[in-house]
Amino acid sequence: MRPQVEFLHRLAWRFTGSVADAEDLVQDVLLKLYPRREELAGIEQLRPWLAKVLYRQYVDFVRQRARSPVAVPAEDGQGADDPVEALAAAQDGPDGDAERGDLRARILAALEQLSPEQRAVVTMHDVEGYSLEELKPILGAPLGTLKSRLHRARQRLRVQLGMEPFSALERVKR
Amino acid sequence: MDCRHFALRVDDWLDGRLNLAERQLMQSHVERCPGCRRGYEDAGALRATLRMLPAPAVRPGFAERALATAAAAPRRGRQAMLGMALAASLVLGLGVAMILFAVRPEPVHTVVLTVRQPESVRLVFNAGKPLPGATLSLSLPENVEIVGFGERRELTWQTDLDEGENLLRLPLVAHGPAGGELVARVSRGASSRTFRLKIEVRGADAAGASPALRASV
Repeated sequence: MRPQVEFLHRLAWRFTGSVADAEDLVQDVLLKLYPRREELAGIEQLRPWLAKVLYRQYVDFVRQRARSPVAVPAEDGQGADDPVEALAAAQDGPDGDAERGDLRARILAALEQLSPEQRAVVTMHDVEGYSLEELKPILGAPLGTLKSRLHRARQRLRVQLGMEPFSALERVKR
Repeated sequence: MDCRHFALRVDDWLDGRLNLAERQLMQSHVERCPGCRRGYEDAGALRATLRMLPAPAVRPGFAERALATAAAAPRRGRQAMLGMALAASLVLGLGVAMILFAVRPEPVHTVVLTVRQPESVRLVFNAGKPLPGATLSLSLPENVEIVGFGERRELTWQTDLDEGENLLRLPLVAHGPAGGELVARVSRGASSRTFRLKIEVRGADAAGASPALRASV
């Protein structure tokens, strides 16, 4: 399972935007799967399967947090949990493009505004490069649902980023 | 093609899901409509930036710690595993705020564990000022252990507390129906504070029956 931890962590971070939450998610998935590691060895397409388990855990995680009567900060006091700060540590390097970095930071903030289902489809499709066909079993939704979910997610991101949101009604009036 | 139709299909165009005739219609429209061209360029820029969005590296030692914790968790049958996953999801993120050097007397908080099911409990220590080199001690009740620490019921270590909230995640597992009190003690120099967390344990049969999140601040 060791080789899969980076993969799980990367997806978990894309879903949550928080290092602490990503670590919690990965820990919970490992607790769940560790007793089944022999079974995992026989799974042909392991990463999509792991992504599915992680996605379900993530949706539960978000719902649980919404129900929790006590607000708990995502930060763990070790610095790299702010999405922008974490990004700064991971991105361009000394010659980084400040403008692009700024857009990335704003995209991360905009991703926070999406529902967990929207965030998952846009990050898995547009960031990780999965096709919608591949995402059907992972996200457990039919193709049409995924297409409209992705469309709405992108539209929301564009609005959040002050981009042209393709407001169809406005355009028809022109 | 009008702007509405263009807006509906632009994602399909960018995702490569249009046939040649449809692509030509889209191309023709975008060349003569400045508004749609701007939107098309924005959509392309968003997609290109998303594609290059980096993720932070795994923190050193995390993978080893997480796997060790998973390896040390109690074994259960497949059916019990499903129950554990559900219960863990219900309790995940449960937080108990402990106000360090600020509240007196310290309140007692309550968490509910399900027997033999590891659950993450978060303790938040809110320090009024930075506390470098503070000593943190934990004392666990008889039936409760920290996953990965076996039967050790007393743990003490030194840590630096930042001003504000400091999170401590504890993967706890209860081995019997009796609960008890987890006692956390933070000390530095001559000052110290003791916090008590009441732990209740419910049977495995009750897992999933109710979120049963009972925490008070």
